Amino acid sequence: MYLPRIARAIAENPFFVLGVSTECARREFEREGQKLLAMLALGLAEVQTYATPLGDRIRTPELVLHSMAELRNPSRRLLHEILAALPPSEIRAPYPTRFEAGDRWIEAPGLFGYGWFQQGRK
Amino acid sequence: MNDRPFYLGIDLGTTNSAASIFDGSQTHMVRTPQGATLTPSVVRIDSRAVITVGARARQSLESDSENVRSEFKRLMGTKQLLRFRASGKSLKPEELSAEILKSLRADVREQFGFDPAHAVISAPALFELPQSAATSEAARLAGFDRVELIQEPIASALAAGWTDETSGTWMVYDLGGGTFDVSLLETRDGLLRVVGHDGDNFLGGRDFDLAMVDLVLERLSSGRPRAFLRSDSRNADAIRKLKFAVEEAKIELTRVENTSLQIPNLQFGDVNVDVDFEVSREDVAQRCTALVDRSIAVCLRLLEANGMHPAQVSRIVLVGGPTAMPVVRQRLSETLGAPLAGGLDPMTLVAQGAALYAASANLDARPTVRTISDIGRRVWLQYPAMTSDPTPYIVGRVSEEKASGPASVRFEREGWTGAETPVTQDGTFVASVNVLPHRTNEFRILGTASDGSAVHLSPSTVRIIHGLTLADPPLSRAIGVALASDRTHIYFERGSPLPARRTFLHEVVQTIIPGSDSSVLRIPIVQGEYEKAHLCRLVGALEIRGSQLASSISSGSSIEVTLAVDRGGRLSAQALTASGQVFEEISHLLVPDAPAETLDQAIRDLRKRLSLLFNDAFQKRNKGSEFPAQLGGFELSLTEAERDAGAARAGDADAAQKARRRLIEIDAELDALEQETQFPKLEAQAVMELSMAMALLSIHGTSHERRLLDEAASALDQARKARDVPELQSRLQQIQSLARAAYFRDPDAWKQIFNMAASRINSARDLPLARKLVDQGRIAIERGDRETLMQCTRQLVNLMPVDEKIRQLGHDSGLR
Repeated sequence: MYLPRIARAIAENPFFVLGVSTECARREFEREGQKLLAMLALGLAEVQTYATPLGDRIRTPELVLHSMAELRNPSRRLLHEILAALPPSEIRAPYPTRFEAGDRWIEAPGLFGYGWFQQGRK
Repeated sequence: MNDRPFYLGIDLGTTNSAASIFDGSQTHMVRTPQGATLTPSVVRIDSRAVITVGARARQSLESDSENVRSEFKRLMGTKQLLRFRASGKSLKPEELSAEILKSLRADVREQFGFDPAHAVISAPALFELPQSAATSEAARLAGFDRVELIQEPIASALAAGWTDETSGTWMVYDLGGGTFDVSLLETRDGLLRVVGHDGDNFLGGRDFDLAMVDLVLERLSSGRPRAFLRSDSRNADAIRKLKFAVEEAKIELTRVENTSLQIPNLQFGDVNVDVDFEVSREDVAQRCTALVDRSIAVCLRLLEANGMHPAQVSRIVLVGGPTAMPVVRQRLSETLGAPLAGGLDPMTLVAQGAALYAASANLDARPTVRTISDIGRRVWLQYPAMTSDPTPYIVGRVSEEKASGPASVRFEREGWTGAETPVTQDGTFVASVNVLPHRTNEFRILGTASDGSAVHLSPSTVRIIHGLTLADPPLSRAIGVALASDRTHIYFERGSPLPARRTFLHEVVQTIIPGSDSSVLRIPIVQGEYEKAHLCRLVGALEIRGSQLASSISSGSSIEVTLAVDRGGRLSAQALTASGQVFEEISHLLVPDAPAETLDQAIRDLRKRLSLLFNDAFQKRNKGSEFPAQLGGFELSLTEAERDAGAARAGDADAAQKARRRLIEIDAELDALEQETQFPKLEAQAVMELSMAMALLSIHGTSHERRLLDEAASALDQARKARDVPELQSRLQQIQSLARAAYFRDPDAWKQIFNMAASRINSARDLPLARKLVDQGRIAIERGDRETLMQCTRQLVNLMPVDEKIRQLGHDSGLR
């Protein structure tokens, strides 16, 4: 599944994936990540999903590894800290929840010469 | 030695290879029967097909050149066959590498008494996927059951960091025989992390040798009517002998100021020459400084890419034989300033690091044998085999059997006993253990049943080594799938932690009929950072042939593609069709061929583009604009590519590959420069899109999105002022993304897109279907049925035709 960038940044926020607070020290998320990886490898039920503001999501080893790598990078961590502290959604109308890579309708306005989607058609 | 762990690491180098073992507390080098720690990566096959490897083969490199091969690592992943004349045998590069690995395996057996079954083998960080695949294949051919690959700079860093855990950022400068890698690493809180790496696949000790060969050729040609050239195929034998001699002289000159070069009877075509003159360190410095500076430019580029400057590097670790050259050390000290790490052997550091990595991956080299102590209730355990964490977790699951299992488990080692950890109803437990620093900790696992009786568990012990925690290695180049639009769909960004696995849905652009072999759906897998697929390297393809299909794949149907890369950079891919058929075999995972005619044509095309850019630059300069400095650099790079193409015509397969890769890079760089010349157009587009995004977000955006747009707008403005094309494009994408989110909240959005698509119905791929969808869409609009309208619009837009010329550029991709 291919989520829009912003939605993905929230749904796959490393703090949510690892289940740690935005104030945790490096050692803490490293420990927690290792524990989660071990528990996922052995199929422990309690770690199969994690909670996000967009609902529960499936936790995978790849996502855990990626989250650990993101938090090790200080500037990336800062970005995730901001997103993890987002207020509840103000969105008034639904936004498509699922995009697929082959969906040209995402670019559709540009295909017909309409505005801001032209750039991707180079 | 038998009671201790035994981890094997191998540095499979271009010029020399080495093996090291780690026993849980220190590393030991594996020695050849002659007592050396290095095995030259050279193979000889004589007329009786007897294979000789290493130092003995190297001795014949000069006298029996047609039956001895070296530097085949540079050809790994190509389909180039290397011929041994006397025996008539032709071997692939990976088969020759397998001979080196067999020799190292035999040395381990000789020294430690068993054949290692598992090992970690190093590979350059910038190895492409086919090259990594070829390395794994070499290991399989050498008899290893399981190997993991490690990037060379990580191995070096791990070996250096093992002995010195001082926190800080440091640089690993790895100048090998054929490639140059540089990595920035950080150690903090016991964690070793690769911050980033860069390199030059065309720069290595061999280039230094060739620079010296050119010096000798110039001296020999002086006063003669015709110069002796490397590109003349009649000189191939003389050049090889010269290269061998200058390599020896170069090594000698690391210890002395001057040495002599004596080679009698060198045959250049019809001319016979005796070489006898002196070469000095100064000669090496003169000829090689430009090459060293090229490597330093890569170091500075890496620092800049990570927002750092040389003063922030606390030390530089040198790896590889050529780093012994005084000119390298001197230039590094002059330009980067950081101290060079002492006490480390640049020739064996990679092998030692690979052995340490084997420990972190818990890859004991010995074949797995179940011992009597392993009898008991089976328990699967997960724990870090090597960690800096003083209290790591051990997670376990006890096998499900009828007899009652343990109600709790306890871990203990000498001098420490852990608490009883309860086992849950589904047989799992999570315990924490206490490890002693800087040593191998062996824990016994004790199970206790609910009635208090002991339950024997298998395995009954686990080992955890306290040391560095190694962060997952990052991917050195982005990997993705080429689309029919000549765009790259990135699956894994550069720097993504490995292992990684991702799945995306694509749409098929052509119909594949079952039974037909000529009907093929191609899913090209590419590696590189470019948005345009043809600029990325094609590293493999999944090909779905009609003859393999149970039912047809229709144009417009969806297909699920999964790419996975393991910790060593090995790629696997899978395609799942709409009918549920799975395809997994990646075809031709090979570095593409580089025939001389193709190289010549590519050089001609690039020259043409370069000349247009020169014209444009001259015209602009007349109007007061600055002349782009990089144009001169392109000229130089193209001349180098021409020289390599010349050597390729003389039969040098390595030079052909080098030329091919260089031409791809020039192509991409020219593309970037061409984009820059289009800057005013891009700038105008950015302004227009920003205005539209502002308009949309003012109506449909959230306050947070509006804030993000403000930030993006200000960054875009900065990028415009700095004329930074990549930054401008990246900000533009961010703005587009925000605008798109807002646009789709407009209740009329789908209606607008539908109406636009409907107005272009005549160009649709399947006109009857398009008409049907238009009818359905109109009804949906009347009924206010948003969901159906959305579906119709999606299908309608996907029916728009693909441009065949663009598709060819996109490596003939069958996907969009």
